[in-house]
Amino acid sequence: MEQVLTFPRLQPARASEAAPVARGADPAAGRAETIRAAADGDQDAFGRLYADHVRLVHAILLARVPFGDVDDLVQDVFLTAYSRLRELRDPAAFCGWIASIARNRATDFLRQRRPQVELPEELPGGEAIATESLAALDAIRKLPEAYRDTLLLRLVEGMSGNEIAERTGLTPASVRVNLHRGMKLLREKLS
Amino acid sequence: MTDYLWDPSAPPDPEIERLEQLLRPLRTTPPAPRLPEREIRWMTARFLGPALAAAAAVVLMVGTTWRSGSQSIGWSISSVSGDPRIESASAREGGQLGVGQAIVTDAGSRARLEVESIGAVTIDVNSRVRLLESRDGRQRLALDHGTLHAQIVAPPGQFVVDTPSARATDLGCVYTLHVDDDGVGLLSVQAGWVAFEFNGREVFVPSGASARTVPHVGPGTPRYDDVDQTFQDSLDEVDYGGVAKRTEPSLEYVLAHARRRDAMTLWHLISRVDAAHRPAVVDALARLVPMPDGATRDGVMRLERTSLDAWWNALGLQDASWWRVWKREYPR
Repeated sequence: MEQVLTFPRLQPARASEAAPVARGADPAAGRAETIRAAADGDQDAFGRLYADHVRLVHAILLARVPFGDVDDLVQDVFLTAYSRLRELRDPAAFCGWIASIARNRATDFLRQRRPQVELPEELPGGEAIATESLAALDAIRKLPEAYRDTLLLRLVEGMSGNEIAERTGLTPASVRVNLHRGMKLLREKLS
Repeated sequence: MTDYLWDPSAPPDPEIERLEQLLRPLRTTPPAPRLPEREIRWMTARFLGPALAAAAAVVLMVGTTWRSGSQSIGWSISSVSGDPRIESASAREGGQLGVGQAIVTDAGSRARLEVESIGAVTIDVNSRVRLLESRDGRQRLALDHGTLHAQIVAPPGQFVVDTPSARATDLGCVYTLHVDDDGVGLLSVQAGWVAFEFNGREVFVPSGASARTVPHVGPGTPRYDDVDQTFQDSLDEVDYGGVAKRTEPSLEYVLAHARRRDAMTLWHLISRVDAAHRPAVVDALARLVPMPDGATRDGVMRLERTSLDAWWNALGLQDASWWRVWKREYPR
């Protein structure tokens, strides 16, 4: 069934629309502390941020740039984030923020890349990646953006639907739809 | 859909499991990069003493010149109805809201905050507002939830309201800001302009227009309140939908039904859509407001500020330079 956005109708705000009073405690306090410490050069804190978000960044880059360049760009993205950590005002927005850096980095990389002869993905000395694996990746890359990111987070990075929602800021319902439709399209492409 | 696709701990689906095995070799995890040494660490051994002395001198100088301009300004509180509270104390008889304090209204109370040189803020029922900062040239509130109505007479950029998902900066205006329990916000401007911003995602909302804001994403595209409902729903889909199959027809609807005054909305969309959809937005805007001298199609496509500013100026709203000025003068 078609997923429909459920925003209330947009009307200029009025007093009668005011919300009830109860609010919970700040859930972002721990993350805020980690971000602050990382911004101050604490390698351990930075390592925790890295461990928590590397799969998200990896999947975004894998969806967009050649496989052989992904690892270097992952490190690039985190170093860029480190240099700009103090600009981040809302710690709860870290996932979306670093995801944007990853997408922009991929765009810049593709823009700056000079025309070149395509090299095979696996070069002597590296771990060989089966042609079939690369073909599957290629098929996912040809899906619409929302599907390919979600599917890579699930099928490559091993995240659950709930984890994907938490990391991407999408609603669980949207993630479910993306997984479902993406999988359907992927089946068609692979068959 | 199999549960396994949603939850990897569920009984495996053979087809999906095979795909996972196929793709697993692509799951590489490079080591976390070493952080570069901060310059201050390198400075420590040889330069910290002189640097501290220099810093102390600067602090002294700044302190002396700033003393007259950094005094805290008291926001006076009056009850409009019911029994609003400052933290746990009643504000029925009025009082002052100090920095760090919150004023809370329930279903039967409303309150008014006022500073003669800044303006007034009416806090509606079921709202919580904190005063975060108060000094000459800078007043900052946080609307945690509820609704406030601001009538600001201070120069642009001096009055700011933080919400859970965006910051509203007054550019000389009257506006209403609502935040619901999920942190989703709605800004409606009745006079002047408000800048609405989150992590570099920024919009400018003119009189008669509104913009949503959503946690972790930030402000949506501003639109005039008199656009039809389908136009509004389509813009919401473009801003927050994320599914290309629905986003593309929604964008097409917006571009096809934009009126001359909706050029403001299309201008914002230029930098919000991805590169693949940008040409369609540029073409639609050009039909409403021809691209002026000083703007080039290539420049707009590359989101160059000069071209975007020149086109904005051609919309007939207000020159872009004035809000660039307040951003420079009131850095956040």
